[in-house]
Amino acid sequence: MLNRLSTALVASAILIITILSSFIFPDPAQAIPAFARKYNVNCTTCHTAPPILNQFGRRFLENGYQLPGTQDGGIIGKKKLGDLSLDDVTNYLALRLVGNAVQNWSVKKQNAAEGIENKTEFTFPDNFVLFAGGTVTKNVGFMVELGHDVAEGGTAVERGFVTFNNIGAYNLAHLRVGKYDPSTYSSYATVRQQLGDVGESFAGGCVAFAPCALTRAGLAPSAFATKFYGLYDRSGNVLSPFAASLYNSGAEVGIDIHGRPFGDWFLYQVGILNGANEGFGDSNKGKDIYGMVRFDYARSQNFSANISGFIYHGNSNAKVQTQEDVNWHRWGLSARATYKMVDVYAAYAVDKINKTPAALSGLLDSTATGLTIGADAYVTDRTLLSVRYDNLDAGGMLDQRKSSTFVGVQAKYYLRTNVAVYVRDDFNIRKSEGGDTGERNLRNAFFTGVDIVF
Amino acid sequence: MKKWGTVLMTVLVFLAGETTVVFALKPEENRATRERGKITFERSCMFCHGEEGKGDGPAGWFIGRYSAPHPRNFTVESFKLRSTISGELPTDQDLFRTVTQGIPGYMPSFNGLTEEERWEVITYVKSFNPAFKEGTPTPMPIPHPPFPSSDESIENGRALYLKYGCRGCHGDNGYGDGPESIKGNLKDARGLPIAAGNLTDRSALKNGSTPRDVYRSLMTGLDGSPMPSFADALNGKENEAWDLVYYILSLSADRGGLRW
Repeated sequence: MLNRLSTALVASAILIITILSSFIFPDPAQAIPAFARKYNVNCTTCHTAPPILNQFGRRFLENGYQLPGTQDGGIIGKKKLGDLSLDDVTNYLALRLVGNAVQNWSVKKQNAAEGIENKTEFTFPDNFVLFAGGTVTKNVGFMVELGHDVAEGGTAVERGFVTFNNIGAYNLAHLRVGKYDPSTYSSYATVRQQLGDVGESFAGGCVAFAPCALTRAGLAPSAFATKFYGLYDRSGNVLSPFAASLYNSGAEVGIDIHGRPFGDWFLYQVGILNGANEGFGDSNKGKDIYGMVRFDYARSQNFSANISGFIYHGNSNAKVQTQEDVNWHRWGLSARATYKMVDVYAAYAVDKINKTPAALSGLLDSTATGLTIGADAYVTDRTLLSVRYDNLDAGGMLDQRKSSTFVGVQAKYYLRTNVAVYVRDDFNIRKSEGGDTGERNLRNAFFTGVDIVF
Repeated sequence: MKKWGTVLMTVLVFLAGETTVVFALKPEENRATRERGKITFERSCMFCHGEEGKGDGPAGWFIGRYSAPHPRNFTVESFKLRSTISGELPTDQDLFRTVTQGIPGYMPSFNGLTEEERWEVITYVKSFNPAFKEGTPTPMPIPHPPFPSSDESIENGRALYLKYGCRGCHGDNGYGDGPESIKGNLKDARGLPIAAGNLTDRSALKNGSTPRDVYRSLMTGLDGSPMPSFADALNGKENEAWDLVYYILSLSADRGGLRW
């Protein structure tokens, strides 16, 4: 009780301070990160609410970081060293700092006498990301993203790729090579979430190709998640059922092509990856391939809608505990509709494991599904409310799998267009089980923090 | 292998760079020009201004959200950025300047379009408003400064800034925090709240930041916003107009777009 009270007090204090500070430091004209600086526009030229893109931002992205309808890379291309200024550098670099100042977990333990266990942590900052992106010359773009995760430790190249744009004709074909997130161009992109991913927690001492119990579920879109229990990467590390993967992976190494050859209403994408959960280099026996088509309406009345369908074909892209390869596939749909202040999106994905080893016959459910539905709404000029529903019908080893259903709500208040404070609560709408499983015993997770991009 | 990689990269860069042809002539305004302009408009402009130029594109609402500015409605609304007297339509050069330079904070520069593409899209934009067919707008004369900025002209400009009531919106020191702005009394033609311009941030001056740009804004006003034309008040007072221009420019540092 005391714990909950102290959490509420700290959260309230942070909110009051931040809201008061918005009066002390009034909103200056506008903002902010690298592309906004480069083109001298507000963030909302491209974003509904960062990091989610509006239709203009989507076309900017599709065009390889060139304004829609243009091939302007040459104009802002490389300068001679003596001509460079600090302004030029800041046109290519941007930072994002996302952190929960306070997070509180309530977990129902197995022993009923213990009741609900509360744990409050101060964790700021959680994640620090440095972006460098833009164009090096006409129709050649790039993006490099370095991320540092405080909880996980270490800094890594989260993404890094080069794009060759408008090959053959305007919007006919854009080629992307490197480490990227395949779902970027679909209706619901993995990396563009208002309710950011909160990682799961595994029990310590896990060994290769052996079950590893979750002590706390992850909070991430279920449609994008691994969904299976008892899958391993090629090194034997257990794959989290909550982590984004396959077409919806956060980043994989490969090549893909997209374009709009028939006009604005239709987009295609095809690609090939080293394989799911492969780092740089390829230890896999074969490549994974994928394709996506998207249909758009985005013309007037402050309204846009689109729907995407994708197929991802895995090729020996995971292992099971017998250390044998399996082919892990996914197909799915995603859709989005935006009208003025309201943005609604959803994704449904079906995962299927083929080539199940005979030794696991009857022990492994080879099908899993995930459904995610979300909505954001600007209820005032500075206040964004978000809600997300996630349902995971898990697959994999029958003795391990646990399905889960979570609802998350968030209120975000923008002090400036690039600085927001938020409060968020995710709650489990499935009943707790008798067993002390991380997937089910998490009852509630509360966060308050700040999101800064500059 | 490395050699083939180099060859592939060279081919890709070549192919990617070969798809633009540069023109440099203002095309004749005819149906074919409008058709080409429509293609460019739907690729570059429609997402904010909407298919029919009503300022209701799918991305347009987010630019101002519940405040001004929102994307221009080309079919009925007046234009802010002009060289013509208040109430008139802009000239072609005014529109070309806006497309080319953008509007700081709200609309990027589309100088990545070829010059011909920009003229074509202007021809198409004009087709949204029948008033453009009724005559050719005449620009006001925007003279070159007759004298350079000096301490005396800036001091005089400060007095004029107070005399003409600029502080009511832009504030005592030009931060855009005048009493009318603070009270929330400023609205645009759509009735949306609008902030007074921050004159201390030169890169945020929407109509440009050279002395002639500021002079133009003073004389033409920004139609559709609370910023009036001072053409009548400054009629025959050319030196006062330039003193005011120099004072306004003295409030900001002369540098580019680096803002945090």
